[in-house]
Amino acid sequence: MDHAVTDKALARWMGFGTAAAMALTQGPVGFVRDEGYYFTAAQSYEAWLRLLLHAPLAAVAQTERFWSYNFEHPGLTKLLFALSHGIFTTWLGWLPDTLAWRLPAFAFAGLLSYWLCLLGMSRSRAAGVLAPLLFWCAARTFFHGHLACFDIPICAMWAGVGVAWLEAVRLGTRRSGLWLAAMYGAALAVKHNAWVLPPVLLVHALLQPKQLRKTELLRIPWLLLSPLVLFLAWPLLWHDPGRHLRDWVAFHTHHVHYAWWYFGQVLRAPPFPVIYPLALDALVLPLPTVALLAAAGVSLLAGFARRRLDSQRLMELGLAGAALLPFLTTTTPVFGGIKHWLGFAALLTPEAAALLARVAPAPRQLAAVSLAVLAPGLWQIAHVHPYGTSAYGELAGGIPGAATLGLQRQYWSNNVTAVLPWLNAHCPRGAPVYFHEVNVESYRAYVASGLLRADIRYAPSPAQADYAALQWHREFRDREPETWNAFGTHRPAAGLYLDEVPQVVVYARPGLPGAP
Amino acid sequence: MAVRRAALIALIALGAGSLAFDLSLGARLPSDQDWAEAAGALRGAGRAGDAVQIWPPWAERARLFVDAMPVLAEERLDDADFMGVQRLWMLSLPRTPFFRDPGAALRARGAVPAEGRRFGALLLQGWDLRLPEVAADLTRASEEHEVDYVARRCVRVAVGGRFVARGSAGAALHVRAGVIGERAYDAGRPEIVVLVSADGLGLGSLRVPRTERDGTGWRRLDVALPAGASEREFQFSVSSPDAGRPFCLQAWTTR
Repeated sequence: MDHAVTDKALARWMGFGTAAAMALTQGPVGFVRDEGYYFTAAQSYEAWLRLLLHAPLAAVAQTERFWSYNFEHPGLTKLLFALSHGIFTTWLGWLPDTLAWRLPAFAFAGLLSYWLCLLGMSRSRAAGVLAPLLFWCAARTFFHGHLACFDIPICAMWAGVGVAWLEAVRLGTRRSGLWLAAMYGAALAVKHNAWVLPPVLLVHALLQPKQLRKTELLRIPWLLLSPLVLFLAWPLLWHDPGRHLRDWVAFHTHHVHYAWWYFGQVLRAPPFPVIYPLALDALVLPLPTVALLAAAGVSLLAGFARRRLDSQRLMELGLAGAALLPFLTTTTPVFGGIKHWLGFAALLTPEAAALLARVAPAPRQLAAVSLAVLAPGLWQIAHVHPYGTSAYGELAGGIPGAATLGLQRQYWSNNVTAVLPWLNAHCPRGAPVYFHEVNVESYRAYVASGLLRADIRYAPSPAQADYAALQWHREFRDREPETWNAFGTHRPAAGLYLDEVPQVVVYARPGLPGAP
Repeated sequence: MAVRRAALIALIALGAGSLAFDLSLGARLPSDQDWAEAAGALRGAGRAGDAVQIWPPWAERARLFVDAMPVLAEERLDDADFMGVQRLWMLSLPRTPFFRDPGAALRARGAVPAEGRRFGALLLQGWDLRLPEVAADLTRASEEHEVDYVARRCVRVAVGGRFVARGSAGAALHVRAGVIGERAYDAGRPEIVVLVSADGLGLGSLRVPRTERDGTGWRRLDVALPAGASEREFQFSVSSPDAGRPFCLQAWTTR
């Protein structure tokens, strides 16, 4: 029992450490396009919370007005962003706006480490420590841990539901059943990915030996309570829930396909390559991590084929597979790098960590091999952060190799932070700047956070701008000649080039400050 | 035991190898000084009709430094037109991962290399393209537009409209055309047809279907010109049931 308590304490420390690491390194991380929308949503929801405090009946009556914005995602994370901002910025005045909005995201990152540590700890203490480290020691995953978005939160809830399910089965108590219901409800209230979790739990139960199967099947009905959490955390559903639920489902079942560059071809519509998500994981993550995750996948699949998986490993295999499966169907939208199936890599890390610990049972051996495996990822973070969406691993030949192979250069526009100091230093007062992929919501966040001068204006096109900050996207290649035509020059003034590869290119009209 | 030991060694080797790759990558990339020296060499050696082709085509940081001549980022060296370019300076980063030597494609089209010079991680090599002399640049575009992910010096012509130009006939007419930007990929759109004539005599047509695969969107028509006046009026009539897409045309004659 003492040992168990100590294990949990260690897991908690891993969680706190992760959240702290995110908080300490979030400063230079640009505001991704979606954060712009979620910041705006959080402002609206915070206004509703204030109304709820002062006039509860009016707030309940006016949920549509405050919660209709960003109706396509449920409320929990955005509600947390709003609460955090309301407490730490509006009320206490301790934190700047954007840090307050991001704070709950760091908590989810910490929770993910906590649950991965617990899953790893069931094999060995070393596996418990290594599992979260394997997940986070990569520029892409580390980057996502900073964002006020839903990808790390749903990844965390993916693991959290798995842990809650195992606990509910093991303990069989009403309390553990309620906790399972709450955890799954929270997952539902974070992101629609959670729709696929009940079938995973059902299949998990059906694959168990007879006695355990019955026990697990009796846990399933607890999930019927979960929609209550979704309902409570998403006031938009308080009026006309049927319509809003239909809108939510319809948005994701008819989601637009954004262009995505993959091995020299821009993917625009289904069918997408069936191997796409696995290939992308292999290309963007550090090679030793890829090798270990692949070994973990093979190990779990081999154990499954031989019917040697215990309940927890079967759960991990099911959750990892369920995170990936929609993207193997060739019809699910594939934009967004690996962020939509982060749960796949995450749920393989406990097994990968156990394999790592198994090949090096002696502490010094384990330290050496862990360092060897984690060092490329740590270097990737040190080298690429905060431009995580541009990161590629050794298999892709790093960022230059990926550019030669014809792989998506970046996404979400946050890399623009690299050129904001240049714009601040050179733009004349009131200069109109074409920010390209940076949406107006993110532009406002840059101004509000002091990263961009408030007098610099947002221009809708190069023709209406004096400066342009172009984000290199294959599908937006026309913007650069458009800028040349408008400005009458082919020479950039500045830019962000990672390992020589253009990410953001700044042009200035000839004669203006900073123009070459 | 042996398997475990082998796995341990393999993992350490994989980690060390990966880190070695990561740490050495910077040494395989050019410094600002390399770029500046290469740009200086181009400034000294450049003459009219020269252009720089960067390789790989993503190496566009060159634009920050090279100011003596146009910088091209053609992606297919085997069939790029290099219209009006007599000498092409290939500025490449040969030590980058997955680098493919551009020389083979240029030699295959009859280009002849000169001595190459290294500037740190950059290689600069002049190529005599041995292209037929341009008789007339019929479209004389001052603007550039992206078609099939390459900036093209072409003129926008409205679908349903026509472009007329007078110029030296030479021996052959070359027509290139495509839809600007992502609209080229719009599903279910009808093809665009360019009917080409000189002094009223039909020379052929160029069909521009919806682009289905990257690298096929910049369509080409090359026709030998029949004997006649040394200077003629060329007409390009662009038509399609769908007039909504931005269309770009380039045409020139060669001797």
